[in-house]
Amino acid sequence: MKKWKVWFGEIDEEIEASDNLVSSFYAAINDEPIPFSIVERGVQIFGSEEEYYRNLRKTAVVAGEKLVEEELKREDRYAVMLLKSLDQVDESINLLNEKLRDIVEIKESKVTDILREKIDELRELRNEIEKEIELVISKVCPNLSEMLGGVISAGLLEKAGSLERLAMLPASTIQILGAERSLFRAKARMKKGKVARPPKHGIIFQHKYVRTLPKTKRGKMARFLAAKIAIASKIDYFSGELNPELSDSIKHRFEELLR
Amino acid sequence: MRLNEVAHNLFIIEEGKQSFPATKSKYPPYYGERKYGNLREWIPYRSKFAAMVMNGYMPQIMNDWKVLYLGAASGTTLSHFSDIFDDGMIYAVEYSAKPFSKLLKLAMERKNIIPILRDASKPLEYSGIVEKVDFIYQDVAHREQIKIFTMNSNIFLKTNGCGLIMVKARSIDSTAEPQDIFNDVIGDFSSNFKILKTGNLEPFHRDHIFIHLVKG
Repeated sequence: MKKWKVWFGEIDEEIEASDNLVSSFYAAINDEPIPFSIVERGVQIFGSEEEYYRNLRKTAVVAGEKLVEEELKREDRYAVMLLKSLDQVDESINLLNEKLRDIVEIKESKVTDILREKIDELRELRNEIEKEIELVISKVCPNLSEMLGGVISAGLLEKAGSLERLAMLPASTIQILGAERSLFRAKARMKKGKVARPPKHGIIFQHKYVRTLPKTKRGKMARFLAAKIAIASKIDYFSGELNPELSDSIKHRFEELLR
Repeated sequence: MRLNEVAHNLFIIEEGKQSFPATKSKYPPYYGERKYGNLREWIPYRSKFAAMVMNGYMPQIMNDWKVLYLGAASGTTLSHFSDIFDDGMIYAVEYSAKPFSKLLKLAMERKNIIPILRDASKPLEYSGIVEKVDFIYQDVAHREQIKIFTMNSNIFLKTNGCGLIMVKARSIDSTAEPQDIFNDVIGDFSSNFKILKTGNLEPFHRDHIFIHLVKG
């Protein structure tokens, strides 16, 4: 007999009422639609329809509060930490690969096979981490993730410190986040009265719309993109609703510049 | 000021040359709308349902309906639905945690809202919560808007139940002509549902249409 999960417990032939409604509420997941009326069965537990809805509402609110708190709790820090480990794994893969090539040039052996296997495993791990970053970022900052993807968004969060701080940054700062060294080098040269070219882009250079443009147009695109990121991060921080027009607008600007 | 009741608790206020919808409510303003006595102004620029009413279409509704609202966001439209379906129950599904936390505050105040923090494209994840409903209202900015509605109506909508979908062309495909997308969407729906009415939401929301349909 199939067990159906409903918010107030489990139902097969009989109803097994949950002793903790708040935790059973979001566990009411089934793999096919429920073939009976939830309300009818619920009334058997709660006594009347009025009581059923009163309990349902109360449970939904309390369970919702709990889930929201969990979802919003320092999720941006989590994404940033994941990104750091992603970079570390990347580096390890590169280093190990290099060493492997050196060894294989001299001699293939059982050990090199194992090493190759381990590197493949690391690659898998890398993909897992990247997927998790995408998922977390799409929840914490839907607009940034829509525009930039998870990895670049997490990179910006890392440089800024948190979503809150990123939302407070001006677009001009966002544009060169991650290019601090070359910015200060340029500033130092300027101070001495020499010719200097300050950086056009930092982390956002990784974005395909900046990277793939001809050199002379990247600055324009970076400036535009940074302005939109400034808006997106503010929306993400204060309201969290997705506004697809932002990512449309950068696409249009990119197509304009491509011509 | 002249009042014209178009549905239960839903009025069109005419004031000089201006006219706008409003709902009868004993609750205070929720998103910065004005209040006229016990009427809450319903701003068509903020809510697609209000824009549809402004454009002259009012679907048949009953105030004791059970409603499934997909994409409730922070609860702007929902607060008016709560006024209209005052004898019914509204299951409000929203995926994003930030706006949902605002929606929770509304749900605490009102007696007929069940807030659910879930992804509308995975209806089985809330199949143990939502009952069979008379009406599904959908306003999600998602590429798979049509699929989401079809899945949800298969599971939750009663036979002869109604649906109202606010279709946003730009979130289905931002490069194609909106009119082409609308034609495709209407074609897709008409194979499974009986379409009662479609129309645009200009000038309040650009590149949007509403589709009112019945599960036959």
